[in-house]
Amino acid sequence: MIAWSKDDERLKEGISLWFGKFDEDRPRYGREPAFPREPWLAVMESGILRLPFDEKWGGLGQSLLTTMYVLEELGRCCRNTGLNFGITTHMVSTGVALQRFGSTALKDAHLPQVCAGTAVGTHAVTEPDSGSDALGMRTTATADGDCYRLSGAKAFVGNGPVADLVVVYARTEPAAGPLGVTAFLVARDTPGLTFGDPVEGTGLKSAPLCSLFLDDCRVPRTHILGRVGAGLLVLDHVRTWEILCCFIVGTGEIRRRLDRCVAYAGERSAFGRSVGGFQAVAKRIVDMKIGLEMSRKWLYDTAEKFTAGRKVTADLATAKLVADRIAATLGLGRAA
Amino acid sequence: MSRIDAIKRHLVEEYELGTAPAELADDYDLLRNGVIDSLALLTLVSWLENEYALDIDAADVVPDNFRTAASIDAFVAAAVTTAKVG
Repeated sequence: MIAWSKDDERLKEGISLWFGKFDEDRPRYGREPAFPREPWLAVMESGILRLPFDEKWGGLGQSLLTTMYVLEELGRCCRNTGLNFGITTHMVSTGVALQRFGSTALKDAHLPQVCAGTAVGTHAVTEPDSGSDALGMRTTATADGDCYRLSGAKAFVGNGPVADLVVVYARTEPAAGPLGVTAFLVARDTPGLTFGDPVEGTGLKSAPLCSLFLDDCRVPRTHILGRVGAGLLVLDHVRTWEILCCFIVGTGEIRRRLDRCVAYAGERSAFGRSVGGFQAVAKRIVDMKIGLEMSRKWLYDTAEKFTAGRKVTADLATAKLVADRIAATLGLGRAA
Repeated sequence: MSRIDAIKRHLVEEYELGTAPAELADDYDLLRNGVIDSLALLTLVSWLENEYALDIDAADVVPDNFRTAASIDAFVAAAVTTAKVG
């Protein structure tokens, strides 16, 4: 496992001082489907959104691994899972895509606000008819002088109800298969772009979703991320970050549950001894610990390999499945 | 075997085109004819990187570089030159 540096630990401890504020008023956000605006102000102040971005644009210049290290602690400490989801969606969908594929002018114009959190970001990939099958998307982008005209509909846009910036994936060449999709950075107030009503996500009340409609929406060519036709590659890069960052938050959440189980198994007594001393309880706790460490190992190992520039398609799929299954199994109260 | 023939052979064998490599036209549109889907694109980029010792930037994976066997060959030729100069 990775040996974290003193700087990594100090950074994690410094930012984690804010996690109590992130978690404020959680019961309210567990009841109503609303973006947690007030906790988001604490998120902005904490600097967590700045982690993986270049200092030139207001970032903290940290690696993917260090970013994950802090996000794991976020999952352990902040029980507002919708807020945690909003944080990772914002960072990867818009910030990571913009930093890696945006022009310098586009980064100058938008990355500082993404780092600060003053502009909330999201991306629009899924469509009502094609689900997350990116190649089956019907939203089109037609060249028109120095602009592209975008038309179509998107569904389940996380952070959508409050997003200021949306990375929209659209078809620029219908017959070009995987090279027919392009990523555009679109501002909320662009004429022709409208948002549907907030929809409650299952288990994520404080991360409301919405639909998005593009009706001949004119987006400047300068707002293309990467090159025309390279949208799938942009999405591949973003999805890699998304899986690693979202799921490491989930392992932090598993760690929190494990800690509570261990504490309870020590406190609760039956037949004159703490229940943790009974094999049936101890075994379940050991299985939780093994599941947690397996998830962490797959996620951090994949992140190291990705950072080294190696292909991680299969590793990422495995890491996602392992972490997902373990979280679901433990969440349902069964041994992993 | 020339580079374009090696590329054609890879395309025919890997993506089961049902034709002989020599019969695959230089300008056969691999995108419009559905030869290259999302997984095929990733495996093709990976194969080119290994075969020709390249580090292909995602920004270069665009339609005009991958539309035909000839365009892939031209893209690799330019990339090999850049790699040598770099």
